[in-house]
Amino acid sequence: MRNITAIFIFLAIITLGNLSTAKAQSGQELVDICSMIAGEEATYLKDFQIKLDEAKTGEEPPTARFSVVLSKNTQYRFTTCNSKDYSGQAILKLFDNNRLLGTNFVVATGKTYPSFDFKCTSTGVYHIFVTFKEGDQGLAVAMLSFVKKL
Amino acid sequence: MSKYLIYILLPLFLLSACRSDKQKEKDFSQEFEVPDSVIYDGNLEISEQAMDEIVQNISSPVEIAALIKSLGVPYSNDYLATTDYVDSYNTSYKMALGLGIYGADLGYQNMYNKTGSVLDYISAIKTLADGIRVGQFFDFTTLKRLVTNNQNLDSLMYISVQNFNQMDRYLRENNRGNLSSLIVAGIWIESMYLLGGVVKESPSVELAEKIGEQKIILNNLMLLLKNYDRDPKFKDLIDDLGEIQSIYKNVTITYEKGEPEAVEEDGMLVIKQNDKQFIDISNGTMMQIIDKTAEIRNKIIHL
Repeated sequence: MRNITAIFIFLAIITLGNLSTAKAQSGQELVDICSMIAGEEATYLKDFQIKLDEAKTGEEPPTARFSVVLSKNTQYRFTTCNSKDYSGQAILKLFDNNRLLGTNFVVATGKTYPSFDFKCTSTGVYHIFVTFKEGDQGLAVAMLSFVKKL
Repeated sequence: MSKYLIYILLPLFLLSACRSDKQKEKDFSQEFEVPDSVIYDGNLEISEQAMDEIVQNISSPVEIAALIKSLGVPYSNDYLATTDYVDSYNTSYKMALGLGIYGADLGYQNMYNKTGSVLDYISAIKTLADGIRVGQFFDFTTLKRLVTNNQNLDSLMYISVQNFNQMDRYLRENNRGNLSSLIVAGIWIESMYLLGGVVKESPSVELAEKIGEQKIILNNLMLLLKNYDRDPKFKDLIDDLGEIQSIYKNVTITYEKGEPEAVEEDGMLVIKQNDKQFIDISNGTMMQIIDKTAEIRNKIIHL
């Protein structure tokens, strides 16, 4: 009887251990969360899943880069969602060919916005750079959504 | 004794359930045998990384359909490609192009919440996606349920766009970027066809500009396709699209740079670009582009 109880406890511990590790947030979950944050008026277009290591001492933080075509007279929404399994908070910067157009992190106020809208007035290729604040390790999804024609 | 047996078997069952969850996460490429013919192993003119930078969001049926709808143009089934020939698409080249074409049509129908013929299109997409071994990313069952019950139509758009993105990502990550490029080309060609059909029925400055600005999009698409120009099928498509590109030489696009500004509106950060872009396209050039695109598109759907 004691042996059976011991086996039961042993197997139950392993089972519970497995169940807890299975709770890690997946990229798909983050996409769904991001879609909810973007709001009902935003139509999902693209998602970019970003996983970056912690920055090495004395080096620039790792950066993920993507390019998208955006259209004139269109309002887009960029939304970021961070995985709860990592400390990193995603900072998204939007560039045209040579200029920073906007970011979800405003240095002057120290405020990070979960999303920002971009009113595009020129059709072309734009570049998205994503890093994690203070070079932390992180997992995040950046989402591009269509809001409306202007 | 049977009571003790339950104590042992229950945790074992739970353990096996956890394991099967992990199996679901494994790489799909291990589950499906992909014929050599659909894996592109030729040398690429530009690196895969550079291609990743080019390919994103090149042609989005959502945006073009949204523009058409915002102008108050009524929905019409006449612009849609027939699904009658789907079963005769017997190569990965034809299937990938068809996938793009029907994807664009699905986006148009979704934008107008027209579910009448959506089932035909999602069935065609599922057939073609299975044909190039990416059917596992197209959630046909959920989409069919949404269409049949005529419910939660926003989800229909969300899931279908996301499924196309997943197919695209999977193809590019598995050395099959050639097929991904064809899907993008199919979406662009069908979106242009749609735009052209609408312009002929309901001309407007906005639509003419939209056709004109496609010069930029086509240039990016051609960069992508030219990477595979050693494949004779790709060469034909590039030659066809090259004819449209030649007509686009008559379209002039000029810019006036402005300073971007960030403002907060209702708690939302909004960035206004403030650049100006001028698109000069004559009616004659526009009609030439529309007719050429229709010719290429009709050739593709009757492949």
